[in-house]
Amino acid sequence: MGNEAIARGAIEGGVKVAASYPGTPASEIMETLAGVAPKLGFHAEWSTNEKVAFEVAAGAALTGVRALTSMKNAGLNWVMDMFMTLVYGGVRGGFVIAVGDDPDAHYSSNEQDTRFAAFYAEIPCLEPADQQEAKDMTRHAFELSEQLELPVFVRSITRICHASGDVELGAIQKLDRKPVFDKHWKIPYRWNVYGPPGPVEKHRWLHGQLPIAKKVVETLPWNKLELRGKPKIGIIASGIGASYAREALRKLKLDGKVAFLKIGTPTPLPEKMVTRLLKAVKKVLVIEEGDPLVELQTKALAKDVNCDVEIVGKLSGAMAPVGEINTDVVAGAIAKVAGIKLTEDKARELARAEISKLVAPRSSTLCPGCQHLGSYWALKQALRKVGANVPIINGDIGCYEQGGYGIAGKVIKPSTSTVSVRYSIDSPYETLDTNYIMGGGVGLMQGEFHAGYRDGPIVAVAGDSTFFHACIPAVISAVYNKAKGLFLVMDNSWTAMTGHQPNPTTGVTATGEPAKVLRVEDIAKACGVEFIKTVDPFDLKATTTAIEEALKYDGFAIVVARRLCTLQAQRQKKFVGKRMIVDQSKCTGCKLCVSLGCPAVTFKNNKGGVDPLLCNGCALCVQVCPTGALRAE
Amino acid sequence: MSETNLIIAGVGGQGSILASHIVATAAIRDGLRTRVGETFGAAMRGGAVASHVRIGKEVSAPLVQKDGADIVLALEPLEGLRNAVKFLAKGGLLLTNTHAWIPTDVNVGRAEYPSMDSITKAVEKLGGKIITIDATSLAQQAGNVRTMNIVMLGALAGTGKLPVSIETLKQVVKENVPPKTVDANMRAFELGLNAVKQ
Repeated sequence: MGNEAIARGAIEGGVKVAASYPGTPASEIMETLAGVAPKLGFHAEWSTNEKVAFEVAAGAALTGVRALTSMKNAGLNWVMDMFMTLVYGGVRGGFVIAVGDDPDAHYSSNEQDTRFAAFYAEIPCLEPADQQEAKDMTRHAFELSEQLELPVFVRSITRICHASGDVELGAIQKLDRKPVFDKHWKIPYRWNVYGPPGPVEKHRWLHGQLPIAKKVVETLPWNKLELRGKPKIGIIASGIGASYAREALRKLKLDGKVAFLKIGTPTPLPEKMVTRLLKAVKKVLVIEEGDPLVELQTKALAKDVNCDVEIVGKLSGAMAPVGEINTDVVAGAIAKVAGIKLTEDKARELARAEISKLVAPRSSTLCPGCQHLGSYWALKQALRKVGANVPIINGDIGCYEQGGYGIAGKVIKPSTSTVSVRYSIDSPYETLDTNYIMGGGVGLMQGEFHAGYRDGPIVAVAGDSTFFHACIPAVISAVYNKAKGLFLVMDNSWTAMTGHQPNPTTGVTATGEPAKVLRVEDIAKACGVEFIKTVDPFDLKATTTAIEEALKYDGFAIVVARRLCTLQAQRQKKFVGKRMIVDQSKCTGCKLCVSLGCPAVTFKNNKGGVDPLLCNGCALCVQVCPTGALRAE
Repeated sequence: MSETNLIIAGVGGQGSILASHIVATAAIRDGLRTRVGETFGAAMRGGAVASHVRIGKEVSAPLVQKDGADIVLALEPLEGLRNAVKFLAKGGLLLTNTHAWIPTDVNVGRAEYPSMDSITKAVEKLGGKIITIDATSLAQQAGNVRTMNIVMLGALAGTGKLPVSIETLKQVVKENVPPKTVDANMRAFELGLNAVKQ
């Protein structure tokens, strides 16, 4: 797996400190590192958020040891403050920032291309084309970082992170460096951006590293120009774009008939190689995953070296500016540039369109027996009991965000109403009204309150890991600025959505050592919250009552719905389910069980049922069934 | 054939990713170049999952091309159809479990689940072949319903379309399942193998 390859590269590079916060598609980098850290003698941790992780790794690099921080695309947004400032003094030990982007937003709230952050910060970015390069580049990134005394960015994407291939391993470097500290190392006040000569002079130093970086990238093996004869067309392909382009060229039988520049450093570009290509051909197609970073730079360069060459890519519309690319997309773009007509089997396309109608959507759901199903059910009941008109339920990031994924099969007509609108909810998956980023909901709810919204209760939900990651300052702000509303914390004591990583509520560290357990309600109390209730979401009655009281409370209220993640409970054998008995003669077909949203609940021939292969015996559906058609033994 | 393109489709929690890694590991052990690309959406359990396994000397991209799958191995029929309609090559094979995992969209009455008959007709219309087996029942027969993915791997081996030896595949299965379940998984593999060979 690409993430394992990056981890291996870090191990081969002699990493001493690695810190991360989970985020798909990058989580397995740290999972892999944490698995071997005690044995290999380096420090690996899940920090409370990406910013802390970045600082932990940066601090290590200041003492001259090698460090790595890894995160998903959105995680990088959290570190920008430190990132943009750290580069002014650079680092002493190799510092690698490994980021997993997610074109097509398979697991993310956006498609942002983080290579631009490397460009923005004026540091080199390495972009692998496959798993082997992911490993080799990460290893080399430490050396490059020490050569330039700057952090080095490794930009991966879902199709590298979560794709697998055979990788040839290298030797593991044993550096055994003693951490040292020298505050005036090569530059006065090196690690203190305000120390004389101050930020502007440090910016000048940073900028001065760029020409050196440009020279170095010309020599790296991952930038390679193949130019034979006098081809009219040139391809510039960065990262995985090169892998797609090679297959596309083979498919179109254009192997060796075009000039091919494979890019491994989208910033800084190997400008000499690009210049040679621009001077040799009439037309250039730029292939890259994400936004047109290479294309923009190539166009700027062409203005100086060959104004006549035509450059196409995402900017020109030769390739779609959104979504991900693949071999088919790249082949289509190359064919167009080369004037090759791809024939389309019309009958087959018609058949495909017809058959596609048969393919029912499969909306994402919570797990069978997930404790969040209980929390959402109780929230819905409590809102009904207090006579909520148009509540605003602000979502957040975690398994429970599926409470806002909707039902794909349900057609929604956009509204143009000028007043608040109440919508029917058939399932927990239609509960959340807003959702953006980690910790965003509890901030938004305060703005909605201060705006004077009173057409219904204002609620925010978040999970335990999210609470520690990004909610605490917002909770303090709510108390301090007198916001009112309910903050429902769904605490399953694991960072579950990203594949079950431990966090401050879990009781273990990344490497499996026992750790202090921090409780959400203790932190909330310390933040000045006066209404705090903790409930078990498997007890629907108690959870509904607590939420109802919180909704009626005239202030900022927190309800903690705590139960160990159902998958963890099963793995740890801490939960033995009951056997569900279905008496269909008692079923009236009211579908309340279906509206619980559990994937194990079925509905056939107007009767509810339970799929015994999926059911984990939590008996939430028994509590929901009003007729006794569902029983538990 | 110099290249084999396989897609293993299913629902999160059924073990399609493990199955794809078993095939890939076996292929590498038999000296073949392999790439695996995974798509598991935002969800863990209950979401649509597809793993692309590409075996061949010149394979570099992790994803199978449109109309490029020689085999779609489906642990769930709807997921088989979802991938076949996009990826199944003319003359390709959809090898599918018949046990349905009904999506929430169907349960709440917002979509209809296609019949096995309509899936068969659709595959034929695409110029493909279809083999159906009740792998879920066979897994229960093997002693553990969670061995369903291994039943399907056995069935895949039984088609003879994989450039990997059955012995290597079995060995890699043994190494990749929990030690306590090795016997059940071996029974599952054989049941799948025989179901297709018959």
